[in-house]
Amino acid sequence: MDIAVATLLSPIVLFFLLGLAAALLKSQMTIPEAFAKGLAIYLMMSIGLKGGVAISKGGLGWDAGLVMLSAVTLSFLLPVIAYSLLRLTTRLSEVDAAATSAHYGSISIVTFVAAGHAIGAAGLDSSGYLVAVAALMEVPAIISALIIAHRQRQAAEAIAGSDRGELIREVLLNASVVVLLGSLLIGWVSGETGMKAIAPFFVDPFQGVLCLFLLDMGLSAGRGLRNGWRQLGVGTIAFGVYMPLVSAALAASVAWLNAMAPGDAALLITLAASASYIAVPAAMRLALPKAKPSIYLTLSLGITFPFNLILGLPLYIWLARAVSTGTV
Amino acid sequence: MHTRLRLELIIERMAAPRACNIIEDAGLTGYTVLPALSGFGGVTRWSRDSDMSASSDMVVVISIGTNAQVQSALQELERLLASHIGVLSVGEVGVLRSDRF
Repeated sequence: MDIAVATLLSPIVLFFLLGLAAALLKSQMTIPEAFAKGLAIYLMMSIGLKGGVAISKGGLGWDAGLVMLSAVTLSFLLPVIAYSLLRLTTRLSEVDAAATSAHYGSISIVTFVAAGHAIGAAGLDSSGYLVAVAALMEVPAIISALIIAHRQRQAAEAIAGSDRGELIREVLLNASVVVLLGSLLIGWVSGETGMKAIAPFFVDPFQGVLCLFLLDMGLSAGRGLRNGWRQLGVGTIAFGVYMPLVSAALAASVAWLNAMAPGDAALLITLAASASYIAVPAAMRLALPKAKPSIYLTLSLGITFPFNLILGLPLYIWLARAVSTGTV
Repeated sequence: MHTRLRLELIIERMAAPRACNIIEDAGLTGYTVLPALSGFGGVTRWSRDSDMSASSDMVVVISIGTNAQVQSALQELERLLASHIGVLSVGEVGVLRSDRF
């Protein structure tokens, strides 16, 4: 309960709620688009560097490798479950269900960053390699959803003007993957000594920048909800809330099987429970253009992201503690 | 002044490179891509500031050429619009330097 209250009253959640309320009330407040993109890159660089430095201190063991393998498998599996649930419980078409399922197998890096903040506040530590796990979980869900769409014959057939490498470039070289893995590698190579030199820029202002970014996220989520809520039925909205819980339960099992520490388990559970709204939507516009972006974007950004940020994080920390100490 | 056709395509940003490939392949000698700020279509409102991924942003592709070039592009653009969100219009315009178009 204390963690729930602390999370809800943390500046990052309150700034998110401020942005959400402002957008829903049709405030004209905006954060310039290019500035918001710069903030996103800053946050990814910062967590990548911190993760790399942590790995340079402790190294990577077999246990980390096993967690990475489990996380990739989970990311492949989650879209299959999400697709089945969407087809069973909603009226979404096959292509909309396939595109939406990709979002729920992939991850939200901002939810991951917020989880890092929340587990720190809860007195838990996490390992640096979880940043690599986050980057690795971006892509498999996209492949999995495309396989589902192909099986349902809903994938794009040679779209006019398309070139062969565009989807692969978008999936494997999107900003999240390049910046996260690149910064992780730079942090790993340069180590603690290198980090000291850039810490005044990448460490000290991090929480303030995160507040600014969450304010923008609130504005985006609110505007997305305002513009797209008519596209969502009750079953689809419910999916945006229960699917993170299904994913969290599966990730908790993975954490238990790998005997993960509570902080690491909380981050893995959060990654599985989060839904992408940056890397996957772009890939889906190229690969499954007939899927409606107003459905999957509104659901992942307008429903699941606020749910995870406000209610999910304390729950995932509790779940992580429970599976790590064996009380569940 | 010389008469040419002006092709204006409002299309989602992610599909714009595909449209530009088609325009180039049709022999049109140039195009310009402009950002679109917000709009409404079907049952959905959209705006640049409601999508973190910028994947549902819209852009406007403008190209000017001869009737033969534009007709050649239209066939493929029609196929493209069967998959992607967009609005295409063509109109007559006057150009000063005919050798450029």
